[in-house]
Amino acid sequence: MTVSTGPSAPVEQPRIALGRSLRVALLHGREETSRRLVAHLGLASGVEIVARVRATDRRSFVEVAQALREAKPDVVVLQGGPKDEAALAELLEALRLGCGAQRPMPRVFGLVDTPMAAVLRPHASPFEFERFAAAPEIVAILRDLRRAGNSDIELRDALIEGAARALATTNATTALAVDVTERSTSLVFARPDGQIQTAHLVPLGLGMGADHVVVRASLDNVRRWLPWPIDAPALLERVFNRTRQSEVPATTEAAVLLEMALAREAIAHALRDAADAGLDVAAMRSAPSILITGRAASFPKAGQSLLVLVDGLEPSAVSTVFREPDEGRAERIGMVVSVVTRKPAKIQVVQASGRSEARVVPGSFELVTIGADVEVAVDGAGVRGHGRSGELGVLIDARGRPLVLSERDGERIPAVAQWHAALRATAEDRSST
Amino acid sequence: MTWRRERWSADHSLPIGVTTRAAVGDHVRAGDVIAGGATLAGALRVPGARHLGLAPTDFDRELRVRVGSDVVAGALLARVGRRFPRSVTAPIDGRLLHVTVDGDLYIAPIVDRWTVRATLDGVVARSDDAIVEVEGEAWCLQGAAAFGPDAIGELMLGVNGPDADLAATRIDVRLGGRIIVGGAQISAEVITRAHACGVAGLVAGGVPPAGLRVVYGDTVTAAGSPSRDDRPTVLCLMGFGSAALPPAVFEPLAALGGARAAIHTASARLFVFSSADIGRAETTSPHVVLTREGPAAYAPARPQVDVDEGGGEHEEPAPSDEELSPTAGDPSSRGVGP
Repeated sequence: MTVSTGPSAPVEQPRIALGRSLRVALLHGREETSRRLVAHLGLASGVEIVARVRATDRRSFVEVAQALREAKPDVVVLQGGPKDEAALAELLEALRLGCGAQRPMPRVFGLVDTPMAAVLRPHASPFEFERFAAAPEIVAILRDLRRAGNSDIELRDALIEGAARALATTNATTALAVDVTERSTSLVFARPDGQIQTAHLVPLGLGMGADHVVVRASLDNVRRWLPWPIDAPALLERVFNRTRQSEVPATTEAAVLLEMALAREAIAHALRDAADAGLDVAAMRSAPSILITGRAASFPKAGQSLLVLVDGLEPSAVSTVFREPDEGRAERIGMVVSVVTRKPAKIQVVQASGRSEARVVPGSFELVTIGADVEVAVDGAGVRGHGRSGELGVLIDARGRPLVLSERDGERIPAVAQWHAALRATAEDRSST
Repeated sequence: MTWRRERWSADHSLPIGVTTRAAVGDHVRAGDVIAGGATLAGALRVPGARHLGLAPTDFDRELRVRVGSDVVAGALLARVGRRFPRSVTAPIDGRLLHVTVDGDLYIAPIVDRWTVRATLDGVVARSDDAIVEVEGEAWCLQGAAAFGPDAIGELMLGVNGPDADLAATRIDVRLGGRIIVGGAQISAEVITRAHACGVAGLVAGGVPPAGLRVVYGDTVTAAGSPSRDDRPTVLCLMGFGSAALPPAVFEPLAALGGARAAIHTASARLFVFSSADIGRAETTSPHVVLTREGPAAYAPARPQVDVDEGGGEHEEPAPSDEELSPTAGDPSSRGVGP
């Protein structure tokens, strides 16, 4: 132990925030690799994507210019190959027409080679055109812009990335951090060597971004996760009014279950965007260590966080799940064993005190209470792995992938209610709601 | 949510194709046309400098038509040479829209005309191809969200009390051109009927979001959706669902009935142009509470909070999970305050 005998001094804690909302338009070449590159770049930098225009966009010159004007971008990111030079030059002309009078003017960041930058730069005039050799340089400068020159701010996405890296390094396995907040949803996949893949979606969350979840996922897809019937207008009203509420955790069970429904869809859509940007979603789903943070980790019960994770992420292997609320310590909450089987099967569960067998029926979703936080290995039914059981135990999820929910209330609601009950995610006394 | 009489500014975004716009320093009244232009269809790219054998930097010198002008097919756009002249002519009727860095021209056919009207009485503070900004003094009520185009008209109460819902049967063509105050809630039926009857805009404590989706589409969000197209204008003052208006908000609305008013949808503000004294220079509304995550409902959390002459600050109760608590000093993130 080291004891300091010097005078005490106040320690300034960096402020953790999402930073300012940065509006970014993406202009990319005709190749799919170009589209994916700028999409990945947008996801990694945690900006709000306000426009996407491909070099072969079918809209007319005037329509593209009008779309860019209405998007009011702070930054325009441009990427393409030599074949796209003429088309990108035309898009820059449309940008000049659309945003020439915008104040402050948008900055143009080109992820292109030097000769192409020389050709495109005049077309971007009078906007500031900066060429970058690699995507990480643009991500870094976009994050700086989000900090708005305030070095005291630590961006939340950087913090989540640090947590994912630390988890991967500590466990010497791949790790995934899932963060759902009021306004953002993040997925960070880290490898033990420190490499990461990131997707930070803004606005998409449980508070200010809740209406965007509904717009993207559709109201029915949010409603399907609720273990009771609710008509669409009433649910929509609750979601819209959430956007005007202050950032305090939900207290009533109804509010918690609605947040859980929103969180599932937010995670599912973050995954969809990550896949669209070419990130390795299969590796994310099979990560042996998964950390859930933010509002999704602040639900009153650990089972609620675990349920949101397995429904939204749909893990595909054996994973140990941790949760770390914003105002709390990280805790290991359970182990998820995802089983895809068409007929009843058996799984061997091995721990220090002995081994046991669990019978798995297709479609089942059960929590095996195994003792608090013990080392467990599982084998059988096409699944093998090990981890720690955590607070809740081992969750054997044999619902299949992708997870399909019935459209009929009479079939879906009992199933969803059963999943909630399996993880003790609802109050035993429903009259309290 | 407060009534304030101050100097405000309102940005009016302009689409592409501006022909005329008010100049900085012009005095305008709400409802005046401050910009006009043409709606343009797909533009044609016409070779300019290359066709004339000029360097792009020299092309502007030979251009005979100002960018932004309307041209007819065959009109001479640029010309060089005397004995062996070469020229560029307009291939279609339309607008000379843009000159590229390479010296090419974009000409777009005109398919319609548009105008933008001021939503404030005041002076033009900024005017360019993207925005006309007007600054002026008015009574203002900051709402939660607004939908549709800006609206200007005479303010009129459509309900008898702050907790009443506006009934569709109260809307008819005699209310055309007015801004109707709809009490606690207005339904999709009322919105569409009002639009059909020529009502300029609707103001209410709450609007059911399902109704908003019916009128404005499934992509509508709680942040509002300002637009320029021919749609109803709705200003939602307190939240979504049903929200009885607090007396501190409703009584001034009643007192200002008959005055000219405007809804500026980009900032979700109601401006009323009246010199009437509606109480205090700053009238604070009582606490607004959302009950059980349901529709917004008015619940007076403090008695006698609508008068604050002492200048001392009230200590607001800490917001809980289910509370929505706009305050007198609530700085809106949208629009530009004075």
